[in-house]
Amino acid sequence: MKDWAFTTTIEEMEAATNSLLETAQKVGADTWQQRVKNQTPHCGFGEAGTCCRICSMGPCRITKKAPRGICGCDVHGIVARNYLMFTAGGAATHSDHGREIMHTLHQTREGGNYQVKDPEKLIRIAKEWGVETEGKDIYALAHEMAEIGLLEYGKPFGTQRFLKRAPEHTQELWAKAEIEPRAIDREVSTAMHMTHMGCSSLAEALIRQALRAGLSDGWGGSMMGTEFSDVMFGTPRPIDTTANIGVMEKDNVNIVVHGHDPSLSEMIVYYANDPEMIALAKSVGAKGITISGVCCTSNEVTMRHGIPMAGNYLNQENVVLTGACEAIVVDVQCIFPALGPLSKCFHTKFITTSPIARIPDSEFIQFSAETAGESAKAIVKMAIENFPNRNNELVNIPNQKQNARVGYSVEAIKKVLDGVANSQVDEFGTTKPLIECVHSGVLRGAVAMVGCNNPKVRPDTAHIGLMKKMLENDIIVITTGCSAQAAAKAGLMDPVQAKEYCGAGLKRVCELAGIPPVLHMGSCVDISRMMILAADIAKDWGINISQVPVVGCAPEWMSEKAVSIGNYVVATGIETFLGVDPYSKGSEEVTRLLQGEDGIKEWVEAKFVVDTDIDSLGDKMIACIEAKRAALGI
Amino acid sequence: MTLFDRVFGGNDYNYERTVAAIDAAIAQYGESEPVSFPGTAYSLPCYYGVTGVKITNLGEMKAAMATIKANMTRSPRLQDAFDSGIASALCAEFLEALKYLHGAEPYAEPEMGHLTDAFVRNLGVPLVTGDIPGVAVIIGGAEDPAETVALAKSYQAQGILVTLTGDSIKHCHEAGMKLGENVRVVPLGYEMQSVIHVVSVAVRAALIFGNITPGDFKALAKYTMDRVKAFVNAYKPLSDEIVSYGAGAICLGFPVVSNETENMFRVPMSLIQQLDTSKWNATSLEARQIKLKITNIDIPVAFATAFEGEIIRRGDMQVEVDGSRVDCFELVQTKEASEVEDHKIEVIGPEIDEIPVGSKISLSYTVDVAGKAMQPDFESVMERKFHSWINCIEGVMHTGQRDMIRVRISKADFEAGFKFAHIGEVLYAKVKSEFDAVVDKCQVKIVVDAEQNKELRAHANEVFNARDARLASMTDESVNEFYTCIMCQAFSPSHVCIVTPERLGLCGAVSWLDAKATKELDPNGPCQPIVKEGCLDEHLGRYESMDAAVNKYSQGALEHVTLYSLFQDPMTSCGCFECICGVEPCSMGVVITCREHAGMTPLGMTFSEMASMTGGGVQTPGFMGHGKHFISSKKFIAAEGGPGRIVWMPKMLKDQMRERLDATALEMYGVENFTDMIADETICTEDPEQLLEYLGNAGHPVLSMEPFDM
Repeated sequence: MKDWAFTTTIEEMEAATNSLLETAQKVGADTWQQRVKNQTPHCGFGEAGTCCRICSMGPCRITKKAPRGICGCDVHGIVARNYLMFTAGGAATHSDHGREIMHTLHQTREGGNYQVKDPEKLIRIAKEWGVETEGKDIYALAHEMAEIGLLEYGKPFGTQRFLKRAPEHTQELWAKAEIEPRAIDREVSTAMHMTHMGCSSLAEALIRQALRAGLSDGWGGSMMGTEFSDVMFGTPRPIDTTANIGVMEKDNVNIVVHGHDPSLSEMIVYYANDPEMIALAKSVGAKGITISGVCCTSNEVTMRHGIPMAGNYLNQENVVLTGACEAIVVDVQCIFPALGPLSKCFHTKFITTSPIARIPDSEFIQFSAETAGESAKAIVKMAIENFPNRNNELVNIPNQKQNARVGYSVEAIKKVLDGVANSQVDEFGTTKPLIECVHSGVLRGAVAMVGCNNPKVRPDTAHIGLMKKMLENDIIVITTGCSAQAAAKAGLMDPVQAKEYCGAGLKRVCELAGIPPVLHMGSCVDISRMMILAADIAKDWGINISQVPVVGCAPEWMSEKAVSIGNYVVATGIETFLGVDPYSKGSEEVTRLLQGEDGIKEWVEAKFVVDTDIDSLGDKMIACIEAKRAALGI
Repeated sequence: MTLFDRVFGGNDYNYERTVAAIDAAIAQYGESEPVSFPGTAYSLPCYYGVTGVKITNLGEMKAAMATIKANMTRSPRLQDAFDSGIASALCAEFLEALKYLHGAEPYAEPEMGHLTDAFVRNLGVPLVTGDIPGVAVIIGGAEDPAETVALAKSYQAQGILVTLTGDSIKHCHEAGMKLGENVRVVPLGYEMQSVIHVVSVAVRAALIFGNITPGDFKALAKYTMDRVKAFVNAYKPLSDEIVSYGAGAICLGFPVVSNETENMFRVPMSLIQQLDTSKWNATSLEARQIKLKITNIDIPVAFATAFEGEIIRRGDMQVEVDGSRVDCFELVQTKEASEVEDHKIEVIGPEIDEIPVGSKISLSYTVDVAGKAMQPDFESVMERKFHSWINCIEGVMHTGQRDMIRVRISKADFEAGFKFAHIGEVLYAKVKSEFDAVVDKCQVKIVVDAEQNKELRAHANEVFNARDARLASMTDESVNEFYTCIMCQAFSPSHVCIVTPERLGLCGAVSWLDAKATKELDPNGPCQPIVKEGCLDEHLGRYESMDAAVNKYSQGALEHVTLYSLFQDPMTSCGCFECICGVEPCSMGVVITCREHAGMTPLGMTFSEMASMTGGGVQTPGFMGHGKHFISSKKFIAAEGGPGRIVWMPKMLKDQMRERLDATALEMYGVENFTDMIADETICTEDPEQLLEYLGNAGHPVLSMEPFDM
């Protein structure tokens, strides 16, 4: 093991958190660390997925003595139903995010709050969808595409348009397994219908629908969310930024954005740079305005503007505990209701903006595309005016910060690869240079690291530990979401230093390509980018996705969205490694379907691997990659 | 079979046969038999560079095999493949060293085998200036020999140094191509393992110019990757042995381009399959990110730095411009803009096709330049470049300067349609491209008429005399500014030269006027003026402003420098110094030796060995690199008594410096024929007693000087 001397260690991050928890104690604030203790031990039936409460005859809990519920459903049906409902929740959430983006796209206009910043990409997708682009005004096209995209949610017939992006073999597998997603809302509705009392109790059918609902997310709602965010806000390109709690600045007005939808945060970033606002900040005694982020809203704005990342999911309370947060502005998903009472212990304004995420003890400023500019400006102003209310005695911003290079969309990755291609030999705009690195053994493969934090895993240890292990073994890491932020906080996206600790192969690749060894691909909806990348690699290589030495990994996942993601990643043919059990261990049959050789693996050529021993999980990932290499004879 | 398996296989093959060869050699000569390559102080250079251990005899070589074996790990990781590639290369070096055992001379023309330290040092300046933009390592040969020759010539025409291994030697040799260091096409050996001799050059470049600590492999590999622009062109078929060398090359940062497809892999920018071998040149340059200085000159023959060292023998000569017998000269004159018609090339008198073959003719060329930023001081700077420019013409040889020039034009050039006017085209094109910042207009007049040249030469001599008078009056005291020169930092990152009127750069290529002109041509370039301020010690030549400059430009590696002392913070060296001087303790004098002299000195060290003590931007009191012309400067180790301290120089150097050195010594010490008092290799080589005896007999002034204040 190498020492990774420059990185910020888990212990150092925990020490910083502990200093903030002292403040919490001082002001009498409640924190997740305490609530975890209060909630432990967790309900064993819930953890195993063996509790059913979908009708009011129960709740029924399955034990050896009581092997069936009142209706007669066995443990496999119950576990599978719970699993499908979990998935449906995630698919609905991601996809609804995508839908909001499509509505925003419909509001774009020349000179308006929202504009088309990447017309080329819009035209490219339009052509892909068979929409006439010639001689069409770009905004007319945007509105037309928005309507077509919105129809993907409810169209009566046909399957998702983006499925055509997958290699033919993958499309055939989906067709054969009958898991090609139809309208997105229909897959969620079908899932809820199947899990209703008295419908499906056949585990295999329920798991099949879980894959299908997952695919409607990954190749439907999420993919639209990603692609059309790029159209409106720009396709990310490599950009340098910083990460960890030390990005907040003591002398500045600190506004923290949190959540997932970039529509509002884009506006906040815009107004934070407005000279009028900066002048106002100075007039109240601040030196300037610092926007930073947590969770995936942070990922969205860092990918496009280099806005620093203050932390990930389990750091959301920390930013308030610094005592230097004038406002925490949230949109949707992964927002602790705890932020309400916590913000009351400080001067911090907790501002909710979406009717989807209404939270007690917050100020609600409803955000809409029409009034986005005014709302954002009002929020920035409110934060500035809150600066004098700070209690300076409580201010403590731990001095932890690392450099990071972010912004690796698929387009950006191909651009990087063009940079190492040779114009005398190679074609440009492909993934072939990457394939050559893997084929020759210089890189052993790639891991897509994703997902959240979860108190069941010592926060970030699995993300950072696994990443280091992969990097030392010449396995390149692509990452999104809170996993990406864990990497950035630790320093693994540092474009200069991080490569020094990698294996010789990955180090050389980083040197020649000018990249960090861990590539930030965006927020959790942007896992759709990873799907596109995997599809393009398989097509450029001429093999199936399941043959490519690539695995997925969510070692600290916690949300329903994560299960939906897991389903579509596996269904795309990518073996997926989980460090937290998806409430399925109560059923041997569901476990066999998800993790066995003769379950979903027979349908989609990939399965889940669950191991809560993180080191062992890492060994299994490397073994899986090496096995894929051996099968290819490389 | 995977790529790594092939590397491992080649490494195993090399390891086994090396072990066997060492055992056989020990059986024949015993373990104490010395092992070395000729003309290097870094023996054995690759092993020394990689491990920091010098191997001097067979026993040590055998022991070293255990170190090599320890690096032959077999995990399927690039690190293991890199380590095995290097291990394979080290085996190759041992196998080659064994060929030189017991005084053997294993290589004969056209093969050159091991290349000396002098070879490496000669590469320093041209690699830095981009005159040699890269190093092509050609392995094997094409199916059609003409293709190999065309490839080698394509690099040669770009000034790229070419090394040949295997069939490529045969192909080029049999095609009658001139081979050797002077034409920059260097045949190493027919056996594949002989490719190690160019690796050895790269390793020594890192040690000499980069001040890399032997054994710091990480730094060594970074140096070669960042600064040695080498690449490999390997013709199919590629054996596992070659593949293992390829891994070593890629480890050092040298990409490999090949047309092999059998059992072969691709790695971007590192291992490139190019089936169209006619595109190897372009593919390689792009892969190694080599940018060529483009000068497109409209002449019927090639123009490239690779031809600079080409020799035209009497039998191959069409005509000769012979300044030793008839009136000839070359001259640059500053004119008013109105007096110069840009790109006017005038030939007065007969053209080459009107002159009988084998004639010795009177010819002069005068280059008139005009420009707002032009200064007469730059005339001599440009004029000194003529030698190199005219030599770059394929089939033309130039020696001498001013009115002592000799130019030979080959029959081949004549047949290709080369005319005198083309010399004008070359001079015009080069002046306009290299001095574009000061020259707005330029015209060339070539006179091929003995009568006219007689008068013109007299005028030219007036110009030369006036210039000499100005140069003579130009001392370190008479100017307000000295210049930095950090041109070599591309190669030697912490070295800084301070160039003064009386102390030219240690490479011999940058005088104070050159530095001044360079500043004018490239205002943010390597030569920056430093105002003489804060004199701390006039005798040593210590100034606050010079200290600040070296500190700044060496990025803090150096804090102090003196201009005139050998002991107190002497000026550093990059590694491309023409000469090196070192203290001779018995006589309290200094010994000077030069790059061209391969033999021993009374210090018991050769040039290479002395040079290995300094260079790479470090200060080594008692040793100092310098330019030849500094020897006759009154400021040469002035703090220690000046050039009167010189007790030994190679004869060749004595002869070159005699006139000016004698004049300086007469002025400083009142001694006639001082150069004769200096010993050389014909008088003594290693014995200090012999040296002292000679100095005593000659009445050398050093004997009456104070001992050094070491």
